[in-house]
Amino acid sequence: MRVNILKAYAIKEFIELFRTRLIVIVYLMPLMTLILFGFGIRMDVTNARTLIIDNDHSKYSMELGSKFQHSKYFDGKVSNIDEQEALRLIKQAKLDILIIIPSSFEKNLLSGAKSEIGVFVDTAFATRGSTMESYVQGAILSTANELARNMQRQTKGMITINSRSLFNQAMRDEDAIVPGLIGLVLFVAPAILAALLIVKEKEKGTIFNFYASPLSKSEFLFAKLFPIFSLHSLNIFILFIVAIYLFDVEFRGSFFLYWFSSELYILISLSIGMLISIVTKKQIVAVVLTVIVTILPGFLYSGILMPISSMVGESYIEAHMFPVMYYNHILYDTFLIGQGFSSSKIVLYLMILFAYLIFLFTVGTLLLKKELK
Amino acid sequence: MRIFMIIFTKEILSFLRSTMLVVVVLYSFTVDIYIAGQGIQIKPRNVAVGYVDYTGGGISQKILSRFHKPEFLLPMRFKSQKELSSAIFNKEILVGIVFDAEFEKLYRQGKNTQLNVLIDSTAASQSLTTLVYLQNIILDFTDLKMPISIKSHKLFNENADNHYFMAVTELLSLITMLVIILTAIVFVKEKEEGTWDIMLLMPINPKMMILAKSLSQVAIVMVGVILSLGFVVFGSFDTPMNGSFWSFMFLTFLYSFSSAGIGLFVAAVSKDVMQVAQLSILIMMPLIFLSGAWTPVYAMHPILQKLSLISPLRYYIEGSESIIFRGTEFIDLLPYFTEITLLGVLLYWYGFNKIGKLF
Repeated sequence: MRVNILKAYAIKEFIELFRTRLIVIVYLMPLMTLILFGFGIRMDVTNARTLIIDNDHSKYSMELGSKFQHSKYFDGKVSNIDEQEALRLIKQAKLDILIIIPSSFEKNLLSGAKSEIGVFVDTAFATRGSTMESYVQGAILSTANELARNMQRQTKGMITINSRSLFNQAMRDEDAIVPGLIGLVLFVAPAILAALLIVKEKEKGTIFNFYASPLSKSEFLFAKLFPIFSLHSLNIFILFIVAIYLFDVEFRGSFFLYWFSSELYILISLSIGMLISIVTKKQIVAVVLTVIVTILPGFLYSGILMPISSMVGESYIEAHMFPVMYYNHILYDTFLIGQGFSSSKIVLYLMILFAYLIFLFTVGTLLLKKELK
Repeated sequence: MRIFMIIFTKEILSFLRSTMLVVVVLYSFTVDIYIAGQGIQIKPRNVAVGYVDYTGGGISQKILSRFHKPEFLLPMRFKSQKELSSAIFNKEILVGIVFDAEFEKLYRQGKNTQLNVLIDSTAASQSLTTLVYLQNIILDFTDLKMPISIKSHKLFNENADNHYFMAVTELLSLITMLVIILTAIVFVKEKEEGTWDIMLLMPINPKMMILAKSLSQVAIVMVGVILSLGFVVFGSFDTPMNGSFWSFMFLTFLYSFSSAGIGLFVAAVSKDVMQVAQLSILIMMPLIFLSGAWTPVYAMHPILQKLSLISPLRYYIEGSESIIFRGTEFIDLLPYFTEITLLGVLLYWYGFNKIGKLF
């Protein structure tokens, strides 16, 4: 490594970045994405639009109906419209849940005959649909439970669930999503910037300068990656501040671990971009390829949508192939759990990230050609 | 018209010449969608349950036997609460249940008892759903003397099958990404090389040129959509089609057209491919993830709800979900068609003015 040459080359790269005004986007994109998504993505179901058709108008049916009006999960309305009309509302996507209480509800209840409550749920959005369905069932069953207790019909003991949520006591969506988003942003942004660095020169022909210069391959890569790496390192702190102060996510782990693993992760992301830049010949291909290998896996395998342990088949394997999963495990640990280096799993995942980086860098150096084919 | 066809064919040819690009586009329309549809499930599945049992094990075992596949893995027994907690900390276990020594005695005596449940809530939605499941299992177990039965109907997707929902969502996101990037780059490359000015100097209507160039990219993506619908969405996942296939294709075409408008916008404001890459990601990520595909629009922050009104993807996703799953009639779909067309026309109007003129 010759420091002077490296310095000259890195400065040139810096200047190029500044000239294209890309510098704004380097910081704007992660910040904007985090803020927009942090406010926009809600995984749990709240305010499901519920319509209750009460054909009974009795004390008990009202009591049941009011369960859906005073709950944060449902946005309930009691109405007397026709059943067909209500189903049409669901078809127009203006309603999520329809509950129909039969006309002889209270009478049946008191006489001990069976009464049937009709529930219609829009499951076009399958996961939301089944979540809503189980909420509705839970709400109806627990109301029934209360009624039974009031009427002294219950003979056996009751079991209540005393649940304690670990790590995210308030069950806040922000706590569950924001750390995962940092993992997504730091995966996509550096890669897309790095992906064009080399292929751009290939397409313009300026790559011949490198072919003809005495610069070695690893020096070339280092000089190319160092400017973006140092620019993106600042993002680690910016995103941290946004997460802590804007979204009030708790931070229980060690900051050093957060910083260290994030730097490692940025390097991995850069190496993925660099690898794409090396193997492609055209900028358009490089852009499309980077988008496909970063954005979607970064989101799908981040653990925001579902825990990796619940995945099956191809997705399970693919989740283990991308670095997102390992980094996010560490990230969630530093934010919400706080085990730090005492957990052997975290040390193992750090090692995997490290191995990943070395592998990518070696492959990149091997594939980069320093001459015309 | 002849000029239109020539430019159109030229763009298609130059796309086909880049083998790698063709491969990447084909890959994303088939394998990528297949993988997303195959494995991602948001509802609890294979949830790892652990328990500590301080009772003799009559009732506790009966309750535990209700945890079965596919939602739950076989419950694992731990010797003490401490071991259970450490398993949860390492994310090996998502839900831990503790049966107190008193539990069975109190229950048999007809008194109220409680179960202690520990839940890893780093994934809040799964935890919450798991809790509801648990509640239902227990309510079901205590066998109420209440003669209420719930008859529930899942509309439009009886088995609550997630596969095709994910596949369709992934397809819609892909259409957005590819149309925007491909269109933007087609224009910017000419700008970068300086050939765009020469094109504008020629005695051809620049509007025609812009239309031909962007429609060629729309056509490429439409072919991909057809392949992907045939092989993956309908082929491997047997997605039911409750509405009309042609209205879906028509909506897709209109949507691709207005996405191309976004691409045009990106091309108009950026100078080189590097800027296109950055800008299109800047525009695409919010567009895709805030479009209602992952979170319904009404559950978002009020400001974002307003913002999503100008996203064509929002109308497209609502529209195609209605067509594919809900089988909505054409009359009810008209708002989606008009909104998308309107946004597309606006974006093109901007594009025409911005890069369709030399001076």
